[in-house]
Amino acid sequence: MLPNAFRSVFSFFSFVGRKARRTRVFFLVSGLPVLVALVIQASRLFAPGTPVDGPSLFTNVIMAFELQFLILVLALFYGTSIVAEEIEGKTLTYLTTRPADKTSIILGKYAAYGLFLLVMLAASVVLSFIVLNVERLGDPDAWLSMLGGLGVLALGLLAYLAFFTLAGTFLKKSVLFGLFFSFGWENVVQYFPGATQKLTLMHYLKSLLPAAATGTPGKLSFLMMGQQPSPRGTAIATLLVLAAVFLAAACLVFRRKEYIFEE
Amino acid sequence: MTAVIRTQSLSKWYGNVLGLSDVTLEIEAGITGLLGPNGAGKSTFLKLITGQIKPSIGTVSLFGEPVWNNVRTFARLGFCPEQDAFYEEMTGWEFLTRLLSLQPYSAAEVAARAARALDFVELSKDKDRLIRGYSRGMRQRLKVAQAVAHDPQLIILDEPLNGLDPLGKRKVIRLIKEFKEAGKTVIVSSHVLPEIEALTRSIILLHQGKILAQGDIHYIRDLIDKHPHKISVTCADPRRLASAFLSEPSILNVQFGPAAGTVVFETRDRDAFFGRLPRFVAESGLDVEEITSPDDNLQAVFDYLTGK
Repeated sequence: MLPNAFRSVFSFFSFVGRKARRTRVFFLVSGLPVLVALVIQASRLFAPGTPVDGPSLFTNVIMAFELQFLILVLALFYGTSIVAEEIEGKTLTYLTTRPADKTSIILGKYAAYGLFLLVMLAASVVLSFIVLNVERLGDPDAWLSMLGGLGVLALGLLAYLAFFTLAGTFLKKSVLFGLFFSFGWENVVQYFPGATQKLTLMHYLKSLLPAAATGTPGKLSFLMMGQQPSPRGTAIATLLVLAAVFLAAACLVFRRKEYIFEE
Repeated sequence: MTAVIRTQSLSKWYGNVLGLSDVTLEIEAGITGLLGPNGAGKSTFLKLITGQIKPSIGTVSLFGEPVWNNVRTFARLGFCPEQDAFYEEMTGWEFLTRLLSLQPYSAAEVAARAARALDFVELSKDKDRLIRGYSRGMRQRLKVAQAVAHDPQLIILDEPLNGLDPLGKRKVIRLIKEFKEAGKTVIVSSHVLPEIEALTRSIILLHQGKILAQGDIHYIRDLIDKHPHKISVTCADPRRLASAFLSEPSILNVQFGPAAGTVVFETRDRDAFFGRLPRFVAESGLDVEEITSPDDNLQAVFDYLTGK
């Protein structure tokens, strides 16, 4: 990889991404948890005395939504598009006939889109947290807990983005495959007992949730159903290694494969 | 002269479909026209020499180096693709500067080169408009601009005149000739013979994935001129026109066309016919509505050359 080329591609797609209509759409999608948080908070104001407190709602509703749905959807649509949008738009030629090596193209685009998604995710999580925890905004523990959750989501987002980047380099119907993988494989196999659940990325993400560390599911009981967590260090290392392997494989495929535009 | 592009037994299949077969050639500096009907293999050849696809068999080199995944060669190459594809949300200026920034230039140099390229294709005053609002001609010229903005030694233009109006074609032809005068190597593909004739004498004829002929356009013209040409003239008095030309030795056949007022001449000497026709029209005061030459359809000429 050429460092200058990586920076140029990153800058190019940060710019393209900022102008794309899709970015606005997904910013709105990532705002859904904030909307839900606002609705919940409004209903609590109009019906005081609701037994469920803000932190519980944040972990059980918002975190569950972000982890089980939002990061998958964001990673799926951005990851698979890294190569596919250049082929469908027939713009790949402009990139591959420049002195920017193909590894830089994949990694630069991954980094640019990854940054966009992290900003969307952070905005979504932090705003939802603020809305649901208005009365606890001065509590450092609450903030630390939220930041820990955000870290897990960010790691998951980057790992899934790498996986879908790889899928997009060699599959024609990568979105369809991604939907099956996200809402079929990942959402089902994670609940299988024994070692099978370790065949999902979600298993390692859930192993990093606070409930998994303490062994007392409590507020995260829904998320932790059937979970036999891996140690935190193993989970983090596995996610990082898998993301690196997916990206390396994506670069390799992109270098070797020839892409032919449909007439 | 040293060959800029060299191919050896270059062949490409798309599954069972033959794209290019056993092409061995050398292309030197100057303008080379790549001529062939649609589906002849022109775009496949250009994709192979620009490293977008891999040869099934054979080799291709630019400036003496292999091209596939070789970023060094891309710094010296400018490619204008056939497809009308852009990052539509960008302005012309953004498109050029962002692509230029993929080269190792400073920000000031990127801006200077983009301004120069836009000026060259006469798009400076429209540079801040979104590309999606550009006309076909403007889009075509913007594609040319991105191919030349980094001042490459080799410029490859895939059907650059496609879809342009006559004025737009003239502009692009003038630009291409300026590249040649600047000492560049230019390859231009087209399926329209007169377009290539307006640009260069050095051509490569491709047909069904194979090189049919290569060299000076006069040689190709001679081949083509052995083929009887049909010329259709629509005028107020077709009988008078037919009788005037019937005695011409180069005329092989005269028929009245299906449309009213149309007469179709078959001749072995197209140039003689087109030399005589304006004189006759001027002398007789005949009102001519339309002159067409169905044989200018390149496919007909290729069918003749390949003995179909």
